[in-house]
Amino acid sequence: MTPIAPEQRRLLSGIPGLDTILGGGFMLGGLYVIQGAPGAGKTIFTNQICFHHVASGGRAMFVTLLAENHARLISNLRQLAFFDQARIGEALTYVSGFNEMLDGGLAELTKLLRREIQRRRISVLVIDGLVTAAASAPSDQAFRVFVHDLQEVALATDCTMFLTTNDSRLASPEQTMVDGLITLTDRAYGWRAESDLMVSKFRGSAYLRGRHAYKIADGGFIVYPRIEALLAYPSRGAELAVGRVSSGIARLDDMLNGGVPAASTTMIMGPSGVGKTTMGLHFLARCSVAEPGLMFGFYETPARLRAKADRMVPALGPLFDSGAIEMLWQTPTSEPLDAYGKSLIDAVIRRKVKRLFIDGLTAFRSGTVEPSRVGNFFSAVANELRVRGVTTLYSLEVPNILGPAVNVPVDDASSLAENLVLLRFVERGARLHRMISLLKARDSDFTPSLFEYDLTDTGVKIHDTPDSAEQLLTSARG
Amino acid sequence: MAVVLVVDDEFGIVKLLEEVLTDEGHRVLIATNGRQALERAAKEKPALVVTDFMMPVMDGAALVRAMRADPQLADVPVVMMSSIPEVTLAERALGYTAFVRKPFSIFAVVDLVAKLTGS
Repeated sequence: MTPIAPEQRRLLSGIPGLDTILGGGFMLGGLYVIQGAPGAGKTIFTNQICFHHVASGGRAMFVTLLAENHARLISNLRQLAFFDQARIGEALTYVSGFNEMLDGGLAELTKLLRREIQRRRISVLVIDGLVTAAASAPSDQAFRVFVHDLQEVALATDCTMFLTTNDSRLASPEQTMVDGLITLTDRAYGWRAESDLMVSKFRGSAYLRGRHAYKIADGGFIVYPRIEALLAYPSRGAELAVGRVSSGIARLDDMLNGGVPAASTTMIMGPSGVGKTTMGLHFLARCSVAEPGLMFGFYETPARLRAKADRMVPALGPLFDSGAIEMLWQTPTSEPLDAYGKSLIDAVIRRKVKRLFIDGLTAFRSGTVEPSRVGNFFSAVANELRVRGVTTLYSLEVPNILGPAVNVPVDDASSLAENLVLLRFVERGARLHRMISLLKARDSDFTPSLFEYDLTDTGVKIHDTPDSAEQLLTSARG
Repeated sequence: MAVVLVVDDEFGIVKLLEEVLTDEGHRVLIATNGRQALERAAKEKPALVVTDFMMPVMDGAALVRAMRADPQLADVPVVMMSSIPEVTLAERALGYTAFVRKPFSIFAVVDLVAKLTGS
């Protein structure tokens, strides 16, 4: 007889992002508890696994333990993209185990399930409402026997089982025995809610620990692996990136001794209206089909940005038209932080991006209720971009309009960028002037002077000498 | 259908095989170690023994040796189950008829039992 290889055979969940967290999917023949309060999404989560499994040629069964109306359950799933009416009743069956449990206890329920698995060749089984089974057990010991028996059946039939429960006890009997435990949590923060998934036990494989955001959309359940965990180690060895990359502004390149180092990160900080986005457009104007670019923005819509580019940096138009540059526009607050991270990294990989402009670093803060995450998030993203040979420019809006003090709205900005460019306004009489200075440049010398610059109809024009800046600052000090 | 003796010290496995083989129409006897199995086999003359390898009191290898030395049981086929690969087990146990690697598939066990009992 051919032995069954027990190790490392996986069941793909069909839930975007989840298999990445699980290191490749659930273990075939494993027994998993999916825990969460009512409304957290357990039913959608498990049904999506069932529909994905039957779409791949498997057979699944969804067992309810309450006197629940299956028609209503199915009806509630209809609007989700994974739902496929044609599979129901054939490859995917919905049955109730309530009567067996009521009449014969958990032993009869186990027997029913095992027989159905054998008869229908079921390879994914969901038992919805484990709390009901626990309540029907005469003792904790009896319930443990039930879970143990299910585990034996799962293993012997190669049927992967999911038990859903809203019991949140940390050490309930089933949690200590099963192969994995996934908790779904929906939390309210003031007016806002955030949902996250956490794997707290997963036998036989490494997994991404900690909380990961999820959402339920028209397509179903989507999980976003936490970027800091996913990219804790860059996904590959570093590309050889030597030399310098033009900022797109000749005078700024001079200040930087020939441009920014290739595959480095540069942060342009300054108040609203000072010209950060325009500088980013100059940077992107040096893209080509061989050196593709990506504009990842939040505030200005693609149409407005295109109009601005056509007016101030005309070289960009043909690059947008030829596809050498892609614009990805996100609405701040609409997605979890890690969704932005995924969208960004996916686009970089898909298009082999070499020049990236992220317009609006602070908008990422709106993607999380924990702004303290943003620093670590960007460190991880920046490391990944670096190994992929991407030269990145971020814009960061600072709140002070005038004055020498700079309040940076992210923690440890210096660790997020290897090169720091500061843009500021200086008042003289009734007019505002713009000034640029470099605070830091990776592994290289730079011109430490302040220069005045103008935002003209043809973009940014930095003055040739620091003289005008000196005069402005002297008069500003009075 | 046949009388099948299932021997395993793991309660869950004994119970599962008992239920599955009973569903297939066999009469199933159970024992939790080799010595208990020998006593039951001597009384009931099973058509097939399905035994685990590692058990307390008397393991599967000793059970097969004892059966092969007993003229009443010498011809009874024995299915040996173990999580140890067969190539390793074969050095430690002789005389069994077929091998099933744990974790086993009940579909495969049902087929094997049918084949060995001619049912």
